[in-house]
Amino acid sequence: MTDGVSRRRFLAGAVALGAGVGAAALLAGCGGADGSDGSLQVSNWTSYIDPGAVRRFERDTGIRVTYTEDINDNNEWFAKNRAVLARRGWIGRDSVVLDDWIANRLINRLDWAVPMRADRLTNRANLLAELADPPHDPGRRYSLPWQVGLTGIAYNRSITGRDVRTVDEFLAVDGTTAVLTEMRDTVGLVMRASGADVTRPSAAAAEPAFETLERAVADGRIDAFTGNDYVNDLATGNLAAAFAWSGDVAQITRDNPDVRFVVPESGGLIWSDNHLIPRGARRPGAATEWIDWFYDPVNAARLTAYVQYISPVQGVADELARLGGPAARLVDDPLVVPTPDLLAEVAAFGILTEDDADTMDARFAALTGA
Amino acid sequence: MTGSAGTRSGRRDRTRDGTVMSPSGRAGRIGINLAAAAGLLYLFLPIFVIVAFSFNAPVGRFNAVWNRFTFDNWLNPFADEALVDALLLSLRVAAISTVVATVLGTFLAIALVRYRFRGGEGINFLLVLPLTAPEIVLGASLLTLFLSPTLWLFNISFALGFATIVIAHIMFLVSYVALTVRARLRGFDWTLEDAAMDLGATPTRTFWKVTLPLITPGIVAAALLSFALSIDDFIITYFVSGPSTTTFPVRIFGQSRTATPPQINVLSTMILIVSVAILAVGTLAGERRRRRTGF
Amino acid sequence: MSGSVERDAQGRRRARWTPWLLLAPGVLWLFWFFYLPLYSLLRMSLSTKPSRFAVPEFSWAWSNYQQAFSDYGSQFTRSFTYALAATLLALLIAYPVAYVIAFRGGRYRNILLGLVVVPFFTNFLIRTLAWKTILGDQGGVVSLLRTVGLLDANEVLLRTPIAVIGGLTYNFLPFMVLPIYVSLEKIDPKLLDAARDLYSNTWRGFRKVVLPLSLPGVFAGSLLVFIPAAGDFVNAYYLGNAKTTMIGNVVQDQFLVQNNYPVAAALSFVFIAIVMVIVAVYSRLLGTEDLT
Repeated sequence: MTDGVSRRRFLAGAVALGAGVGAAALLAGCGGADGSDGSLQVSNWTSYIDPGAVRRFERDTGIRVTYTEDINDNNEWFAKNRAVLARRGWIGRDSVVLDDWIANRLINRLDWAVPMRADRLTNRANLLAELADPPHDPGRRYSLPWQVGLTGIAYNRSITGRDVRTVDEFLAVDGTTAVLTEMRDTVGLVMRASGADVTRPSAAAAEPAFETLERAVADGRIDAFTGNDYVNDLATGNLAAAFAWSGDVAQITRDNPDVRFVVPESGGLIWSDNHLIPRGARRPGAATEWIDWFYDPVNAARLTAYVQYISPVQGVADELARLGGPAARLVDDPLVVPTPDLLAEVAAFGILTEDDADTMDARFAALTGA
Repeated sequence: MTGSAGTRSGRRDRTRDGTVMSPSGRAGRIGINLAAAAGLLYLFLPIFVIVAFSFNAPVGRFNAVWNRFTFDNWLNPFADEALVDALLLSLRVAAISTVVATVLGTFLAIALVRYRFRGGEGINFLLVLPLTAPEIVLGASLLTLFLSPTLWLFNISFALGFATIVIAHIMFLVSYVALTVRARLRGFDWTLEDAAMDLGATPTRTFWKVTLPLITPGIVAAALLSFALSIDDFIITYFVSGPSTTTFPVRIFGQSRTATPPQINVLSTMILIVSVAILAVGTLAGERRRRRTGF
Repeated sequence: MSGSVERDAQGRRRARWTPWLLLAPGVLWLFWFFYLPLYSLLRMSLSTKPSRFAVPEFSWAWSNYQQAFSDYGSQFTRSFTYALAATLLALLIAYPVAYVIAFRGGRYRNILLGLVVVPFFTNFLIRTLAWKTILGDQGGVVSLLRTVGLLDANEVLLRTPIAVIGGLTYNFLPFMVLPIYVSLEKIDPKLLDAARDLYSNTWRGFRKVVLPLSLPGVFAGSLLVFIPAAGDFVNAYYLGNAKTTMIGNVVQDQFLVQNNYPVAAALSFVFIAIVMVIVAVYSRLLGTEDLT
């Protein structure tokens, strides 16, 4: 039967194809499994580096880099990687960028970070003096800031109809509003509005702030908790106002010129994130060179010109001016080159005890509905 | 033979098969056609948006507001490297999972349909349960298993990664394959086997030369279904993937918080076109085979 | 060797070991990676994890369940309510589609069925993101509804329960269309003829004959929509707000962000227990054969 023959051949062909695909996939999968082709494995947040930087770094140092933008949330990063780090394994990355409080946890509480190689840190002296000795890493042995930012309120003037200058006005906005999923940012801003000192935070001091937030959520005055996705919603007009980070504003105003950013009258927050070398990293020396390269004012200026956060490196303002064009205009932007007045309005959130952190995290989680 | 109920005649009141319809019936008929058309339109609405926005040049990082038409995205569909890597990983996972799940599932189906034995009903129920379990529970329970090496009895510690994703996919695909193939086997004419054996074939030979070729279309259909399910799976994969193993949906989810590049739309449209093509080819081939052989 | 194999009414042959040999790999896989994990989940739900960095320890901690109910009771009710709403909506939309394909499809049946399924070859997340665009505050749908008067001037669709339910309905629609279609198609044409003969009014014919015969499909579709909808978290994540979180969001957050495994496991276990009860009742009523 010709039909039988063709069916049999079809079957044989299908099985062979399947086996072939499976074998090839297995082989391919095995090869790429731990991603180690010897290059420096760098992990960072999305759109947090200027486009040409990787290539320029490779050219200047000869170190090959595999750059992946896979950090979306501090807690999520921690949850994903803790099992491997606890087992003293390699998470597949030599370099990560994380917020202060989680850096504190990794460096001090869990010993999951590795000190930088001092001999490769040629540009270390360029670090701004104010950032040289933070409580979570005295002397900056493990970390160096990648960028510095402010937390404040962003609002869409055409939807709110008026300027939003205080947290109370924010809560009174008639429209969809969102606050951040970063507990310290959201609670910190409201704490400052209630008069508490965020540089010495505690669960007790945060009590009034939590009550305000809980009431606001219950009344529907706060609608959502977002990560970076507030950027999208502000730009498309789906949000009237949101707690926001300063560097995102430029991005938003390009999409939607009606959006403004302010530091609330009761005060805003300033934060810096940290470049860290996780335990088990295969190329800690190369990772040190990586961050060190960004402490050259020229490279730092290019980085800041693109991401438009505040640079932790000295002399960046001059380099920005030298770059000319839109970069030079940033020198006059207080959100990128902050004036002393602005710096006086913001404070950094201090370190919480583990117990307080757990309590506040749990209370915040209940607030977000999860 | 259709009846001749009702006394009202006239061609306008007759349906295609000649029965008579009342005016309210006609209105209802139009109404239900409209409702069905609206339903289909509703099904396709997001697809139009997805395809349309693949031609958008977004102003910022998010592809949510129409800016202007461009072919750039289609000319550079692989611009986002991490996204392409994730898609390749999804394809790898799907390939392996489909092959293994199809084999396991087909064996299950054949066992259930071809033989009667004690415990058949119980196995049936055991097969259905994973299909009805919600995905978060499947993902969460697998996560707890992978995190507790002592339960493995071999005390192997399993790092979350490629292997865990494949294991999870095979698990939920096996039931789909088994039930799909079994459904196709329902109408199978087993007397063909008897005929073959009467003609002198051994049971094994009969199976390989008679039964298996005839059930192959069902197996292929189940395999295609498995492949599609595996590529699209998000929730289970999200729970059991490790830090460096990001599949296509997981990548989109993670990235969507900070950016939605138009390449996502481009790649998804490509997958859609390929799937439709395979479906069309498969249906046409099935039609032709049916007309030729009567099976 | 001429053999006449003994077969039962369904064409199956008796056997001892062969079926078990064939079953073994699949059954073992399911046992190891479905049933054993459920046990592992149960164990985890009865463990305690004193701090964020500790390893969970089994200790018959029934308090986790208590906490699950007291802290997240509203998410449970909300999930089942949304799922029910989505199921009913899906039924309303899917039934006409299935009906028209089954009875008026003719030659184009397979193509139409394909059309129903094709949209779901795109990624689930992207479809939901597309709904975010469609239902956007400045978008066409909202403007239209405001013009028609169904929405107030400053009411929106995004980040509301409506958007979440809409997303749930959409994402599981084919699971409702296909089973209803299958059961409609199986109806004996002679019964349809009889219905037309007896009832000059098509609606009564439908109600008395077609609808009852399509009920197995309706039930199967409802189950296939209700259960995944109740456990979903993606729709609530993209389209909802802080007060529309579903049990899936809680499980996802507690497992993957808070790392609070014991309570999360308790939540999952309660959820699947409820689901299993529903499935058991259903299969007792209708038999599992009809699920395919």
